[in-house]
Amino acid sequence: MIDEDIKKLIIARLEVLPSDKKISIGSIGEFTKEQLIESVKREDAIGRKMIQIELEFLQALKEGIVTT
Amino acid sequence: MNKKMLITRPEHDDTTHYLSHWSKKAIALAQEKGITVFDLSREKANRDKTEGILKKQEPGLVIFNGHGREDAVGGHKDEPLVIAKQNDALLREKITYAISCRSAKVLGSESIKQGAKAYLGYEEDFIFFYEPKRITEPLTDKTAELFLEPSHEAMLSLIKGNTVEEAERRTKNMFKENIQRLLSSEATKEETSMARYLWWNMKHLIAHGDKTATF
Repeated sequence: MIDEDIKKLIIARLEVLPSDKKISIGSIGEFTKEQLIESVKREDAIGRKMIQIELEFLQALKEGIVTT
Repeated sequence: MNKKMLITRPEHDDTTHYLSHWSKKAIALAQEKGITVFDLSREKANRDKTEGILKKQEPGLVIFNGHGREDAVGGHKDEPLVIAKQNDALLREKITYAISCRSAKVLGSESIKQGAKAYLGYEEDFIFFYEPKRITEPLTDKTAELFLEPSHEAMLSLIKGNTVEEAERRTKNMFKENIQRLLSSEATKEETSMARYLWWNMKHLIAHGDKTATF
């Protein structure tokens, strides 16, 4: 069970993704922004992957290691 | 003896369609350099043909485009082409670059145990954005370019004779440049939001084996 505040944060960040583009996530498939947000809400495999990426990226930003 | 390269290019969905088209530059460069290219595209990207070429032609460089999993790389309709602990010995003495999700995690390291020179690939899902309206002309898709130009740089670098380490470095540098561009004040919010996926790809690109190896 993922903390609701974290889910809200991730959804807010995904809302900013471009609407006219699709995202290919390896062998999992191709998705729209709306599908990703639904996945986060459902906490399915894609949603959990999105949460993992967001949290790791935020951590890297915090540590200043994004482009080093 | 002339150099030989095997490349697999399934095209059964949007992702493989894009990867396949973006690999054409690498094929053209290899041919320019007089390298014999075994190009397994679409239905030809199957296990029988892949194994046949790996066994009979012994290409020094192997490039896989396609879906993957931790222990395998996939071909047409995701048929596993090379699987760890099954037929990964076919990569012996070869340098492999796989734009194939997660395959560096297990297949990469296992193939080195079987005598592969080096395996460059992604330990996690490879992610990219694309513009659906550009699907018929993937090479004109500027959004996909942000992701696929760096990832394909490794192919070009290896074909040019650079070391595996240099190919990895150049690719990561290109990812880094694109991340910096997307995080700059000139980028829109939407553009900035894609930076984390470039970072994800950069972070999970890894080389196993002899990093000083060249093709």
